[in-house]
Amino acid sequence: MNTDLLVPLLAAAIQSGTPILFATLGEILTEKSGVLNLGVEGIMIVGALAAFVCAKLTGNPLLAFALAGVAGMVIAAGHGVVCLWFLGNQVVSGLALTIFGLGLADYLGTPLIGQTAPGFGKLSIPGLGALPILGPIFFQQDLLVYLSVGVVPLLWAFLNKTRWGLNLRAVGEHPEAAAAAGIDVLRYRWAGVLGGGFLVGLGGAYLSLAYTHLWTSGLTAGRGWIAVALVIFAFWRPGRALLGAYLFGGVMAFQLRLQAIGTHVPSSLLLMLPYALTVIVLVFASWKSRQANAPAALGINIEPQD
Amino acid sequence: MNYRKLLMLCLALTAVCFLLIACPEKPEDMTPKVERLEKENAELKQTVEQLQKENDELKQQLKELAVKMEVKELQVGFVYVSPIGDAGWSYAHDKGRLFIDKMDGVTTSYVESVPEGPDSERVMLNMARKNYDLIFATSFGYMDPMLKVAKKFPQATFMHCSGFKKSENMGNYFGRMYQARYLSGIVAGAMTKNNTLGYVAAFPIPEVIRGINAFTLGAQSVNPDVQVRVVWTKTWYDPATEKEAAKSLLDVGADVIAQHQDSPGPQEAAQEKGVYSIGYNSDMSAFAPKAHLCAPVWNWGPFYAEIVEAVRNGTWESKAYWYGLENGIVDLSPMSAMVPADVQAKVMTEKEAIKEGTKKVFTGPVKDQAGQVKIAAGKTGSDGELLGMNWFVEGVIGTTQ
Amino acid sequence: MLSIHAYKRQEPLQWSSGLILLGAVALSLGASALLLKLHGKPALGGISILFSGAFGSLWAIEDCLIKAIPIFLCSLGVAIAFRLQIWNIGAEGQFALGAIGATWAALSFPEMAWYGLLPLMAVAAFLLGGLWGLIPALLKLHMRANEIIVTLMMNYIAILLLDYLVYGRWKDPLSFGFPMTPEFSPAAIVGKIGTTNLNWGLVVCLVTALMIWVFFRYTRLGFEFQAAGENVRASRYAGLPYRRLVCLAMLLSGAFAGWAGFLEASATINRLQPSIMVGYGYTAIVVAWLARLNPLTIGLASFLLAALRVGVENLQLDLQVPAAFGGIMEGMILLTVLAGGFFMEYGLRLRRSP
Repeated sequence: MNTDLLVPLLAAAIQSGTPILFATLGEILTEKSGVLNLGVEGIMIVGALAAFVCAKLTGNPLLAFALAGVAGMVIAAGHGVVCLWFLGNQVVSGLALTIFGLGLADYLGTPLIGQTAPGFGKLSIPGLGALPILGPIFFQQDLLVYLSVGVVPLLWAFLNKTRWGLNLRAVGEHPEAAAAAGIDVLRYRWAGVLGGGFLVGLGGAYLSLAYTHLWTSGLTAGRGWIAVALVIFAFWRPGRALLGAYLFGGVMAFQLRLQAIGTHVPSSLLLMLPYALTVIVLVFASWKSRQANAPAALGINIEPQD
Repeated sequence: MNYRKLLMLCLALTAVCFLLIACPEKPEDMTPKVERLEKENAELKQTVEQLQKENDELKQQLKELAVKMEVKELQVGFVYVSPIGDAGWSYAHDKGRLFIDKMDGVTTSYVESVPEGPDSERVMLNMARKNYDLIFATSFGYMDPMLKVAKKFPQATFMHCSGFKKSENMGNYFGRMYQARYLSGIVAGAMTKNNTLGYVAAFPIPEVIRGINAFTLGAQSVNPDVQVRVVWTKTWYDPATEKEAAKSLLDVGADVIAQHQDSPGPQEAAQEKGVYSIGYNSDMSAFAPKAHLCAPVWNWGPFYAEIVEAVRNGTWESKAYWYGLENGIVDLSPMSAMVPADVQAKVMTEKEAIKEGTKKVFTGPVKDQAGQVKIAAGKTGSDGELLGMNWFVEGVIGTTQ
Repeated sequence: MLSIHAYKRQEPLQWSSGLILLGAVALSLGASALLLKLHGKPALGGISILFSGAFGSLWAIEDCLIKAIPIFLCSLGVAIAFRLQIWNIGAEGQFALGAIGATWAALSFPEMAWYGLLPLMAVAAFLLGGLWGLIPALLKLHMRANEIIVTLMMNYIAILLLDYLVYGRWKDPLSFGFPMTPEFSPAAIVGKIGTTNLNWGLVVCLVTALMIWVFFRYTRLGFEFQAAGENVRASRYAGLPYRRLVCLAMLLSGAFAGWAGFLEASATINRLQPSIMVGYGYTAIVVAWLARLNPLTIGLASFLLAALRVGVENLQLDLQVPAAFGGIMEGMILLTVLAGGFFMEYGLRLRRSP
């Protein structure tokens, strides 16, 4: 494969990885606070719809992007109410939220079929965009790609360098100890759920504002589930999430290009590539690493103290 | 009641006439009497006329009532495989449903997102149990379930789209979309500069393969060197993946993108790259005004109306309804101004020829990818061959698996 | 100032826990009715159409039972893994492999009599489904790979493998190129019970559920399962064969999902085709947790969930509400029932705060 094909492939890897990256980062934040939210798919698609509707009505993509985050927060709040206040099972609540979100988006979105809305186009960074090879791969993307990359160090710094972030992680690891140290456990978990929902919603917005500029039911097409898997793949680290999302997006784009070049391998087998590769890489990574890094109290509800 | 009145009147009139005739001639004192009688006669005539008019009106009303009694509301059910929000296949069928829903004496209903296994059987069973008269199932996988239900409910009429099985009360139907695809191929073949066309396709099933082949033959008819590259997405509607597939085709040099997908994702990819595209399902020019050349489109409404009428009149018969351009069930959307006039004219001539039946899309010699002759020179592909098409014509790059 | 405080109930609620669940369902049904009203449809009429579609006639109940079978079996499977705190999200893939195994047997031995072929299909489905469950277990134990991601990815791989087979190798030459295997021979089809539409798979489900219930309640191994599930670390100190238990759990988990695939292919579709995959494996996870992993309650929960879906179809048909409405409703019911579970263990009291 020559650079003529490789450069667009890598650029495509970044683009198709970006919605998954936003969602993965969101889920990392939520899980770090000790809450497992399997509703990523449902939150994402509501975010996508909210963004599309807002962009259509206001003509302002940035506002639409932000609103998608808010919509994600609202849906994620449902998970918060059920699991944090009423101590419902986090697995079922997340799955229920997925069913609910997909239904809601489909229900509200049907009148918008066949319409377009303004969104984000390619934004070449002056200077860097003109670089050979690197320019087209990294610096001729849309604004949201740069934003998503910006979130990675921010999230890392928040989780590792700020008091709030450290408290949040403590809540995810040892809620009892955190509570004993005077941390308001419930408040941090709420922050994790809502903040995560915000980022996941942004991931959905990427699909309807930048990747495409249209709406159909099922726009997310399972990307939320990939994000759930990538959180574990990334060992709950934002940097590795970036790698994982781009790797997954890249392999997906790669198998399509293999077909375009004209291989004779059945398409079903080619489509297995991204999934098989994820498993293989995970297996080797987990084999080598000392710890999996999962928050110890993940998925365990905190009982109210009388 | 009215008849009796009428009879009485007639009798009265006759009596009056007899009286008049029978009256002896006494001119001097008869005149006022005659005048009076004449006046009475005129009045009576008027009454008769009025009563006759009323009678006619009543008869007319009776007739209308009878007509209404005979033609009960026809209940028509539709089963869709995806939500009508898929923007493509089910959406097009639903437009057809809304078309017949406007007809007098027809009520329609639908169930969407029905999986093709046992769920579809249950949905059709429930429609039949609720005395639906006519059921349309619009996905291939509904064939066997529909056959089972049709056997249990002989009084209802069943129509299955895109399959090949039928029974006494079950027919199948489809449109010869490949004809419109052939026409769009002519446009693509004339517009390409690299002689490379890209085709984003959903699943390797005969319907899609047939379309790719027809498209290729159309392109080759104006540009023998053209090649068509195919990428399978294995999804009907996932705009992001479909767009990505189109981009992968653009990267290998395709400069016209065609699609057998529901979403306009590939159209966007073409426009962003500054090349041309060909839509599908409905006119997609709103999504890519600078790229969209034309689109093979579905128009189910008139066909559904025809079947509804046939079922109502009792003229429906179980057969394979495979209509083409001549019935308008498939068509080519208006071509963009970017298509040169001579190409447009060529497409229009071909379209007329196909409509009249003088031109068949799959006319031999047609070779497959390996160069083997699949349809001999001078022969045309039979419907059976077309229905089960699972090979690519020469000039297509890709696999049918 | 008054504030609300939760307190843990000393004794678990008995009959009133049923009331709480009913209340939760009623709450979400009320919300659904409101949504119907907003959509311009009759609210109460809609709910009654929903119920008559699910329970209103003998055949409606039959339909619900038929639909519940695959959910039931998959759910029994995942519940075994969940008891050990192994997060098996892979029932979907194990279901696919089971269907593939059964189809392999049916296509390879078309001449065999039913009393030989059906057990062979069951064994093939059991082994292939079980194998698909065992792989993540082994990867977890030996390579420390997280089972959630491995099972999830293996779902996609399994479905694509099924696609590969029906689009290629196993495609029926008489199907005009459509992706489906030839129809099974009559001997390979699980029959119907008497004159009903129900197939014998229902009996398989019930017997399996009963056996699992007995296993957990009365056998030593079942007890070890419980113990290991409740506290993984402690069970290791106690000398329980944790690794072997994990392998066994995943094997059984996959095998039962595989059986669901076998029954679906054999009894209801009579062949293998891609549309056999409709997400029962994911539904099963919801059902298993909703039923708190109790095999008998799982039966009830899968029936009720199947009934909801069948009822929503009736609602679609009669009132022309979109399918998405069903998703909204199902999501709401699950969320309120989950939240309602809180009141079974906790009570609320008003307290005057200082």
